[in-house]
Amino acid sequence: MRNIQTQREDRKRFFIDGLRPFLGAVAESRMLYVPKKVGDRYTFTAYDPSGAAQSEINNIRAFTTVKEFLFPLRERVAAFPRRGEANRAKPFAILGLKDCDLRSMAVLDQVFLEEDFHDPFYEQRRKNMFVIASDCFDPAASCCCTLFGGGPFAHSGFDLNLSQTKDGFVVEIGSDEGTRFVEDHAGLFAEASKAQIAEQTENRSQMRQRLETLNAPYEVGTPVNELLAQSGDTDAFDIEEQKCVECQACTRICPTCHCFYLYETVRKDYFAKMKMWDSCMRMAYAAVAGGANPRKVLGDRIRHRLMHKFSFFFDRYGIGMCIGCGRCIDGDTHGMDIRVVLKKLDAEREGSKRAGVAS
Amino acid sequence: MRSGLYETTNAEIVDIILESPMIRSYVVVPEGPIEFATGQFVELTLPGVGEAPFTPSSSPADSYKMELTIMKAGRVTGILHECEKGEKVSIRGPYGNGYPVDDFVGKEVYIIGGGVGLAPIRSLFLTLIERIGDFKSVVCRFGARTPNDFIYKNALHGPWKQMDGVDIKLTVDQGDGDWRGNVGVVTTICKKDDVDVENAVAVICGPPIMMKFATRSMLNFGFKDTQIYLSMEKNMSCGFGKCGHCMIGKYYVCKDGPVFTYDQIKRYRNIWD
Repeated sequence: MRNIQTQREDRKRFFIDGLRPFLGAVAESRMLYVPKKVGDRYTFTAYDPSGAAQSEINNIRAFTTVKEFLFPLRERVAAFPRRGEANRAKPFAILGLKDCDLRSMAVLDQVFLEEDFHDPFYEQRRKNMFVIASDCFDPAASCCCTLFGGGPFAHSGFDLNLSQTKDGFVVEIGSDEGTRFVEDHAGLFAEASKAQIAEQTENRSQMRQRLETLNAPYEVGTPVNELLAQSGDTDAFDIEEQKCVECQACTRICPTCHCFYLYETVRKDYFAKMKMWDSCMRMAYAAVAGGANPRKVLGDRIRHRLMHKFSFFFDRYGIGMCIGCGRCIDGDTHGMDIRVVLKKLDAEREGSKRAGVAS
Repeated sequence: MRSGLYETTNAEIVDIILESPMIRSYVVVPEGPIEFATGQFVELTLPGVGEAPFTPSSSPADSYKMELTIMKAGRVTGILHECEKGEKVSIRGPYGNGYPVDDFVGKEVYIIGGGVGLAPIRSLFLTLIERIGDFKSVVCRFGARTPNDFIYKNALHGPWKQMDGVDIKLTVDQGDGDWRGNVGVVTTICKKDDVDVENAVAVICGPPIMMKFATRSMLNFGFKDTQIYLSMEKNMSCGFGKCGHCMIGKYYVCKDGPVFTYDQIKRYRNIWD
């Protein structure tokens, strides 16, 4: 822990006073996606080099997830007879990814770059990706990263990170590719002053404070993976069933949900094997051809989804699958809130502990 | 690293054996040999139609051809049942863990099978009898709905019965005029005195309801949870532990299974559904 701290403090920081020249340089050799405000939320859009559209940094994570760039909604994964690759990834960059986005990529990396079974499509996109992260400076009410080991700014997982200040951006480098970029465009970067770094540090600590205050009511007394591991038989999930309208929005909008299904389809002159997002909340998701279905009851599907999210994934990969971005809370139409569910499980557990002591 | 995680091997159906009204065995020859361990499964693709998981029913000793015994149960298998010799298909895999045959050495292998569940068991049986001396004995208790619903009829009524070290008993839910054997569910031919529980493993494969009661029966005989091996049938789609459809608790049946000990999965809900 100490080492990481030292490294962070020692990390050389730069300063840029505006985004335009910087983004122009990024876009020279790759496709660049930038945040764009739609209503009161952000999504990503292709950068307009003409400058007609003003680029800004998003104060909060975009509503769009980064998985859409790495693991698209639908893609061809094989063809019969064989033919050339469907969509060879080209270099691309995304501006404005937050700590939660980067941590969601770390989760997807575990799955799709797993030792024995690399997904070649994911891997190609991942390798071609240039990550420009940025600090959060106005989190939403649903942001709960601090409950899940995250925070308003990233420590790692980026090529470059931008921290907005009064008159520009403090830039940190997080990879060799980031270093190369700064070296190749040295003219764009000044060395950050002590005052600028102090401002960055102050902003970050204020933001962390704000998030921790926001999330204090949802703190639980047990690590969530243990809490869920002990809650397999609770009826809390069956109670949540009454709220869920089975829209599957939670799994679509979740940046770490990665279920997919493979299907065959007919093209003009070949057959294609397609891979498309799926949702474990779907009724027939786990059904077999003979008709058996271990999760035909909605409460069991909610149970499986949350057990997977908080416990099973941790057992397999040693990291939590929920990164606390809050998208499922925003996306839900009927008030199902994972923070509240976890709190309920925690209360149940405390209750049964006390009952155990009493008896 | 595998470059083509989703790529398949082209194959051809060279023979079709009618096993029962709803079940056929397909002899499939892939373009190149496919090595597999008994109990592992493959994904069989009908290009443009769909794919489905099957455990080969043939011996792993022959990697140049494999037999897949397939019951007409859904869309893909329905279309497969209309296929004829010469049909081009493709195969991915093998996937999963297979039966831990080496762990069975020195023991009585007590196999309970029902219906099309005899398919993986046939592959296991053929593997066991190649080294029959390594095991204390191989005991088979097989059931089917009616005498005509038994698959591998010739082998069951003939050569398999006569092998040294093998003890086979059959039962049907409903007899017909010629049936002189037992009538009743498969657990009615499982007797505690048949098996030296201390030195045995139980292997169970069949319809979920049969697996549930067979497991209960074995537990009553005194088998430990770790001595009962179950071939779980779940919705295996990708085959490599990513797509999520086949999960039982934390396990991906396609990668961590399809063979599990009862001990591994008993704590999860609805494992028999």
